[in-house]
Amino acid sequence: MKFIDSEHIEINRELSDLDKFTIEFTNILKKYIDYVIISGYVAIVLGRARASEDVGIIIPRVDFSDFKKLYGNLKENGFYCLNAEEEEIVYSYLEENLAIRFAKLDTIIPNIELKWIKNDFDRIALKKTIDVTIKDKHICISNLELQIAFKEVILKSPKDLEDAQHLRSVAKEYLDFDLIQEYKENLHEFY
Amino acid sequence: MSFIDENKKERESFVKKWAEYVRTHSDKDWSKQQNVIINSALRSAHMTREQFFKMKGETHYV
Repeated sequence: MKFIDSEHIEINRELSDLDKFTIEFTNILKKYIDYVIISGYVAIVLGRARASEDVGIIIPRVDFSDFKKLYGNLKENGFYCLNAEEEEIVYSYLEENLAIRFAKLDTIIPNIELKWIKNDFDRIALKKTIDVTIKDKHICISNLELQIAFKEVILKSPKDLEDAQHLRSVAKEYLDFDLIQEYKENLHEFY
Repeated sequence: MSFIDENKKERESFVKKWAEYVRTHSDKDWSKQQNVIINSALRSAHMTREQFFKMKGETHYV
């Protein structure tokens, strides 16, 4: 794993089923909209020894017409929405700031948990991203400092604290520890 | 030390040791081992949509 700079990581890893699923989904998503992967999968793609049933992704708000195009392309490529089939209903969930989930046809797990940006921390996640190159594929993940702070201050489950510890350890030579602290203080005030 | 505390300490120790392994071994090496965990967990997961949403505590589906 090579930390090229604060915005680029190269990993010459063998692809897991979860990697392949995530890359397939994001390759469609990125044709229509910016996105950022958050939470557990960020730690997993960087080597954390655990599985996950879902992959969290944040996107900016999109209008219904653009959403329909994205949804149509996902369906053409064998994805379906677990929450509902009708695009109006699926879109209404996003408008209510609820996450929608996509899996491959005839499966439930793994799935993508897709949600709209809803606060300043989501905006930072979407703005300060890291391009991860896995062999010749690319995915876009949130900056590690924000993920660590969020897991340590807000989520705090044993699994999340272990994810944060893993990120702190694998990226210890590259992390901005002052920035983690700053995010943690801001998160304390916000939530 | 209680069983819960002991278990927590062991898990923390494993997370640190594994992260060190990832840092000091080739990506191919650690990812092969990691993929055994990930792929077997995904392939053995059988759940209905309703069971999944219940597990997640989500109710917005039709």
